[in-house]
Amino acid sequence: MLRVIIVCSWGMSTSLLVDSMLSAAAQMHIRLTVEALSAGEFAARVDECDVVLIAPQIRHLRKSIEKLAQSVGKPVALIEPFHYATMNGQAVLEQALRLLASAQEGMME
Amino acid sequence: MSVMIERSSAWVERYLVPPLGALASNIFLQAIRDAFIIFTLPLILAGSLFLIIANPPIKALADFIAPYQTAILVPFQLSFGMMAMFLAFGVAYSLAQYRRTEPVQPAVLAVVLFLIASMPVTDLTNLKLGEVLPYFGGEGLLVGILIGILTTEVVRRFRGSRFVIRLPKGVPPNVTRAFEALVPTLLLITLVWSIEWFVSSHSGVVTDSSGHSQVQQLTLPILLMRAFQPLVLVQDSYPAALLEIVLMMLLWSVGIHGMNVVTAIALPFWLATLTQNATANGHGIVTEPFFHIFAHLGGSGATWPLVIYMLRSRSAQLRTVGKVALGPAIFNINEPVTFGVPMALNPLMMIPFVLVPVVIVTINYIVFSVGLVHVPVVLQPFTVPVGVSGFVATGGDIRGSLLQFFDLAVSAILYYPFFRAWERILVQREAAAARPEESRERIAAEVH
Repeated sequence: MLRVIIVCSWGMSTSLLVDSMLSAAAQMHIRLTVEALSAGEFAARVDECDVVLIAPQIRHLRKSIEKLAQSVGKPVALIEPFHYATMNGQAVLEQALRLLASAQEGMME
Repeated sequence: MSVMIERSSAWVERYLVPPLGALASNIFLQAIRDAFIIFTLPLILAGSLFLIIANPPIKALADFIAPYQTAILVPFQLSFGMMAMFLAFGVAYSLAQYRRTEPVQPAVLAVVLFLIASMPVTDLTNLKLGEVLPYFGGEGLLVGILIGILTTEVVRRFRGSRFVIRLPKGVPPNVTRAFEALVPTLLLITLVWSIEWFVSSHSGVVTDSSGHSQVQQLTLPILLMRAFQPLVLVQDSYPAALLEIVLMMLLWSVGIHGMNVVTAIALPFWLATLTQNATANGHGIVTEPFFHIFAHLGGSGATWPLVIYMLRSRSAQLRTVGKVALGPAIFNINEPVTFGVPMALNPLMMIPFVLVPVVIVTINYIVFSVGLVHVPVVLQPFTVPVGVSGFVATGGDIRGSLLQFFDLAVSAILYYPFFRAWERILVQREAAAARPEESRERIAAEVH
């Protein structure tokens, strides 16, 4: 079970990406939940996920989001803008999986 | 050309991104924006429906509705008409989330404080609701925002400080929390009530939205609205509209959600003007629909025509983006365009990205001010498709839709040369990227 939070602004365009990620996950036989939250909601609910992704239109908030996520040990990254633009759910899902894998490796060491 | 683009790109990253990013990261602006979207927008949209029904665009229908008009307006008055009170709740709640502290208690307290601030300190059993009602809606937004911020900022400082009533360990946490909240609650209620008492010991001539003047007790919102009225008038002008659209598009040009940032600042003005249009036959132009419905056709930057161009582009990248962008464009969502073309941080496309909306805003301002199209009176979700939204926003003026299509044509013409120039660059890049493989294949063929 993989729980992803995408931090974005109004959640309109991100909801399209969420759909695309869910169908990619179904094909890869991964159980996935994705939630699109504003930065404020994210601050209140940071514990409820495994991976944090940042939508490109709020990349100016990147530093504060990263700081908060890292303070509770959640891996975090900015979504590649072109993948976001083309609503490439599979590429974004793979990015989340890679992030999680490298975070777990880091913990092993 | 590519070199020039890279150089200006570095300039943008260095000088344009930091100040715009700092503005957009302001925590109060973010909280106001979230509060508006999450808490007040659904009420505004639902309330607007009743407003439309109460004021149908067709004369025969309007005559039929007339006897029931006041009854139909009740749900409007108690939703849209109360938005400032719910904005106070929402701002306190959202700000508490950003401050990572429990949000419900300060939000409820903010509503109480808003009520105290909006009512004169007098025998409330004899108060006429009509006297205070306007200040629960469009004319009380500023008070709502200020009270929301004040409440959360005070409450969060008390939490965990030594100025709270402590109970022995073993008392259930809910009980502890109630006692912890007592000191800041009492303090804030006393503070706002004292100020309000002082203010409402004075009377003044108050002109309501329908133009009737009478002497009545002053309240905080009345006082603030007086100070604020010149700003509302200044905001409803062409230079202000120009400033707002340029700021929105500069923010989007560096990839930041510009509409969000500007909305957080301009919202009280837009809604005050729109409320005057909707309830008192006002002729204000610079409102939320002026931007969302009449300028950002197909998404911020009026990028609808670009999507059409992309579908048949010679560049594979643009064709891919065009296909993804088509569906969202119908609902005025254009992140695929902004980050896929891309427009953001692309010095070439940034030029029309700012220029096109500026031209459209200029045209529309002239059209509305000479009365060619009815001014916007209705708020609706920005996702309503172009054509429909122009009709609804103007309270049922078909010329509203025609104006949108005219603006689309302007956008199509202005974007075209920039699109072609950018397409040429991308086609060259794509060809360059494909070439090594081709030559490898050729070598392989020669070897065999």
